[in-house]
Amino acid sequence: MAYAWHWEIFLQPAASGETTYLGWVLAGFETTIVLSLLAWVMALLLGALMGVLRTVPNRYLSGLATAYVEFFRNVPLLVQLFSWYFVLPELLPPAWGNAYKQLNPFLQQFLAAVICLGLFTGARVCEQVRSGIESLPRGQKNAGLALGLTLPQTYRHVMLPMAFRLILPPLTSEFLNTFKNSAVASTIGLLELAAQGRQLVDYTAQPYESFIAITVLYMIINIVVMTAMRWLELRVRVPGYIGSK
Amino acid sequence: MSMISIRSVSKHYGDFQVLTDCSTEVDKGEVIVVCGPSGSGKSTLIKCVNGLEPFQKGEIVVNGVSVGDPQTDLPKLRAHVGMVFQHFELFPHMTIEQNLAVAQIKVLGRPKEEALEKGLGLLDRVGLKAHAHKHPGQLSGGQQQRVAIARALAMDPICMLFDEPTSALDPEMINEVLDVMVALAKEGMTMMVVTHEMGFARKVANRVIFMDQGHIVEDARKEEFFGTPRSERAQLFLSKILSH
Repeated sequence: MAYAWHWEIFLQPAASGETTYLGWVLAGFETTIVLSLLAWVMALLLGALMGVLRTVPNRYLSGLATAYVEFFRNVPLLVQLFSWYFVLPELLPPAWGNAYKQLNPFLQQFLAAVICLGLFTGARVCEQVRSGIESLPRGQKNAGLALGLTLPQTYRHVMLPMAFRLILPPLTSEFLNTFKNSAVASTIGLLELAAQGRQLVDYTAQPYESFIAITVLYMIINIVVMTAMRWLELRVRVPGYIGSK
Repeated sequence: MSMISIRSVSKHYGDFQVLTDCSTEVDKGEVIVVCGPSGSGKSTLIKCVNGLEPFQKGEIVVNGVSVGDPQTDLPKLRAHVGMVFQHFELFPHMTIEQNLAVAQIKVLGRPKEEALEKGLGLLDRVGLKAHAHKHPGQLSGGQQQRVAIARALAMDPICMLFDEPTSALDPEMINEVLDVMVALAKEGMTMMVVTHEMGFARKVANRVIFMDQGHIVEDARKEEFFGTPRSERAQLFLSKILSH
């Protein structure tokens, strides 16, 4: 293959002047990490809340949670992102819409991406939390209630600690997906890792080096997340319980 | 005054009638054994007593408090009605001593040290003090059920409900659980026990209730029940389970 490898491009000053091309890649790396972590925190909190609501004996609360899941799970992520970024500011009261449009462009894109990814992933986390709660033996809830715990206390001290342990493996996948899905933010112009990769190709005409670099960085993120989650699984495993040693 | 008063209770799931016009009284210090074929509604009846199962008709009064009344503070009532389940239902992620302490702390507001100490005392009583730091999954079924009894006792219950406490146990573990229950009965605890252990019924029960298809068919003193059961259905049931 007649391809001229030029790994040294990463050390050359970038077109923007103040940094190298490596600096561009690392800036994108940072944006991807911060964006995904914020979205993940939002997804976990929202998903846990909605997942609990889906299982409570109240038609209105569980209906609300079901509506949330069905909406955010059934519309493509890309469509959701465009809606948040292009459509929502027009639907807000004019004062709010204008305030949003006066933010610097990076912040506008970043906010839209965090909210979009957080709500989308939250719907998926919600379903996992629900399935975790529903896979517990039915008697556990009764045992908590029979001791005089209130329903919220029974969730907090009896059901959720086990439900979350059971769903740690699928939650790990969801956490990894959050980082990978964050690449859609490049479509609204946010310079995260994938966008920096494409920009690098445009400026250096070295596609292999550029895409290898961002691929390696995505893999590093995912290996760190996988290792951390594996550690967490071992740490919270329940002695004598099925699936643990 | 009776501790538990069940008056004309009926319950249905959709078209399926689970309980029909069930009435009985349990006096303070009495031990009542509830038996009957599977599906006869005995577990459902006992779960109605502490409000784990709602019922559509009738009334249940526990220590002067009406269980079915929407105004009733059910958690407060349940805190003093101990319940032991067929499948133990210990909390797997907590150690044994945490299992015994959690409701004392969260429901009764006891300080942690006091709750742990009380738990240890009860574990000692059921012969499991050495296992305080283990998790439920590391104990045998019989040991888990004894812990479950201790957990209920930690709340200083005014009465105890047992829902088939030995039917998920291996035969050699049944006695260790029954021994704890017999000791409890002899101390004067008010108990309502759903079980097929007729040896237990003969030893400590005051009365035996026999249920079939959601009806209380027989509610008699134990001597009468075992000596001359009135209903044909109870005679048949007894001949089946006592023939071995």
